[in-house]
Amino acid sequence: MRNNNSFRTTWLVASREIRLRAKTRVFVITSVILLIAVALAVALPAILSGKSKPDKIGVVGGTTATITGIITQAGQLSGGQAVAVAEPNQAAAEAALRNGDLAAVLVPNKEIIVKQVPLGGVSGSVETLARLAGLSKLIQDVPGAANAVAQGVTLPVRGLQAPSTSLSSRLTGLFTIVVVWVLISVYGSQIALGIGEEKSSRVVEVLLSSVRPVQLLIGKVLGIGLLALTQAVSMVLVFIIAGFASGSNLVHGATLNVVIAGGVFMILGYAFYCTAFAAAGSLVSRQSDVNSTIMPVQLPLILAYALSYTVIYANGANAFYHVLGFLPPTAPIAMPVLYAAGDVPAWQVVIAAVLTAAGTVWMARIAVRIYSNSILRTGPRISFRQAIKESRSA
Amino acid sequence: MELEIDGLRRRYGTVTALDELTFDVPAGQVFGFLGPNGAGKTTTMRAIFGVTALDAGEIRWRGKPVDEAARRTFGYMPEERGLYPAMELFDQVEYFARLHGMDGPSAAKAAWHWIDRLGLSGRGRTRIDSLSHGNQQRAQLAVALVHDPELLVLDEPFSGLDPGGIDDMSAILKERAAAGVTVLFSSHQLDLVEDICEAVAIIYRGRLVVSGPVADLRRGDRARLAVRVAGDTAAAWSAGLDSATGTVDAVRADGTAEISITAGGDAQQILDLARAAGAVEHFAYEDRSLSEVFRQATGASVGQAEAEHAAATKATRVATGAGR
Repeated sequence: MRNNNSFRTTWLVASREIRLRAKTRVFVITSVILLIAVALAVALPAILSGKSKPDKIGVVGGTTATITGIITQAGQLSGGQAVAVAEPNQAAAEAALRNGDLAAVLVPNKEIIVKQVPLGGVSGSVETLARLAGLSKLIQDVPGAANAVAQGVTLPVRGLQAPSTSLSSRLTGLFTIVVVWVLISVYGSQIALGIGEEKSSRVVEVLLSSVRPVQLLIGKVLGIGLLALTQAVSMVLVFIIAGFASGSNLVHGATLNVVIAGGVFMILGYAFYCTAFAAAGSLVSRQSDVNSTIMPVQLPLILAYALSYTVIYANGANAFYHVLGFLPPTAPIAMPVLYAAGDVPAWQVVIAAVLTAAGTVWMARIAVRIYSNSILRTGPRISFRQAIKESRSA
Repeated sequence: MELEIDGLRRRYGTVTALDELTFDVPAGQVFGFLGPNGAGKTTTMRAIFGVTALDAGEIRWRGKPVDEAARRTFGYMPEERGLYPAMELFDQVEYFARLHGMDGPSAAKAAWHWIDRLGLSGRGRTRIDSLSHGNQQRAQLAVALVHDPELLVLDEPFSGLDPGGIDDMSAILKERAAAGVTVLFSSHQLDLVEDICEAVAIIYRGRLVVSGPVADLRRGDRARLAVRVAGDTAAAWSAGLDSATGTVDAVRADGTAEISITAGGDAQQILDLARAAGAVEHFAYEDRSLSEVFRQATGASVGQAEAEHAAATKATRVATGAGR
């Protein structure tokens, strides 16, 4: 009965936050703009590349009508265009491949060569070509093999360079952490501002006459968190839908995993930071002071974000950034970056997620104490040091 | 007794806010909780709602220590009024009704009822920060009343009200008390509220000074005479008064002497003495004001007590950096 009541009260607080914010014009407009931005970021490259330039496939030893047909067909089947280009020998073909003139090289009946095989495997016209060329080889080599076509045969794909995450995966990682960072700081400051408003307008005393501080705090971060989650989930959905609709290679394999990991760390990051923002908001007496108290809360995020550029554009992250990937305050930004850059295996991502979740519990306990202790204090702004010291003795 | 305040103690650093404060509030009355600023009224009221922790003592409601369930049946109007500035009036009132446990439909019905009842009809869809100051006060009262509380606690409900507003507020408090609600309100303006409440507790420095029905306190244990002799603005005639008959408490600006009659003393002897000095313009039994009751019990006027508190607050604020 008591728990029931307690949950009901918390939910009442949460639903007020949702109703109040979801119906504001600012929220609706920013949500729509964000979703359009995601859709464009995913679909535009695929649409532009698909229409403007067909994949050039070099054929070592000259083209035949059969091979040209296979290449054209592979392009169409993968939703784009591919044309065959005759190459005198393998060395010339590989040189053209290195300087970007060719998308892939077909050595008939032997293999397909690309510049670099993405970690998730090849996709698009090259993948289709590998299958079709493999079938063609089979049919030529083995009499009556056409009957066995249903089994599917693929020509091996070899990379000139060691396998690595594609640039698209890294850029998706960057895009993902920008979204994580923006959502955490935007919604985090909304929490702090909302609590600053309750404190400065003194409505908090009326609230606390019927609601416990912890219910008020949890209700607030839950309500605002659900809004943030809705926005994050709809962005991921738009990413996937726009990706498939436009035939973008971003929705395949590794890149999609980066987006999903980003979504998980978005939730964990919000959970970790939401109570800290709430505690920061409870320290001020005037709403205009909120910006200065949330600054220290955001510092770890800013640090991880700033350093992430060194990982995105470099081969291999340094040890310091690896450490950041496992610390709860920086993991929500650092770990998706490390994963996108191919610097950590999936199991380390899971460990970082568990550590962050544990850190969330620890942070929430401290934050609730600071909040309960500070929310009714008027007068000058309370420093974090003072609030922590007093919350220990309280 | 419905509400029992029993031995409350609370210290803030070196400042003692409540010092063994004890009094009872009966049901169905408008009960005044009076004292100068800084006496501990707000701390006591916050303690009733568990907003302030106590060092010692207990608050009981209908014989049981106040808990969360009991508090849900209480209504509170804090001294520092507060509502969500950007929320519409109806949403706000309905929200607080639901926080006190009402379901959706009855919360909405009660919200509209109190909006109309407090003269805010037509303002239900107005944002709080667009309401006039007086209407914000009414909105605050609506929030305290909307869930039909069994105990109504109002901190300085009359401060900042014009005379019309004071009449409206006291009418509502009396109506609620008549409906069986226990009404406890605080004020530092002792004389302003002596006609509004039936019983009071007066506190000073966190301690109870006196409590009881207003009529009894104002009458006191010695009857009070007010006597004025024409032309004698210093009440020089009263110098001849025998302390076995009565003592002069004060002389007003117009020369009226306020005299407490000694037990067994004879008012007629006082009249004779005055007549011997000149024409008696005024001779009447009077009740004391509550601020005089306070002065007699504490030796300090309400004004002195508040000035003393203001000076002390300034000093401790500098020392602790805290507001209260």
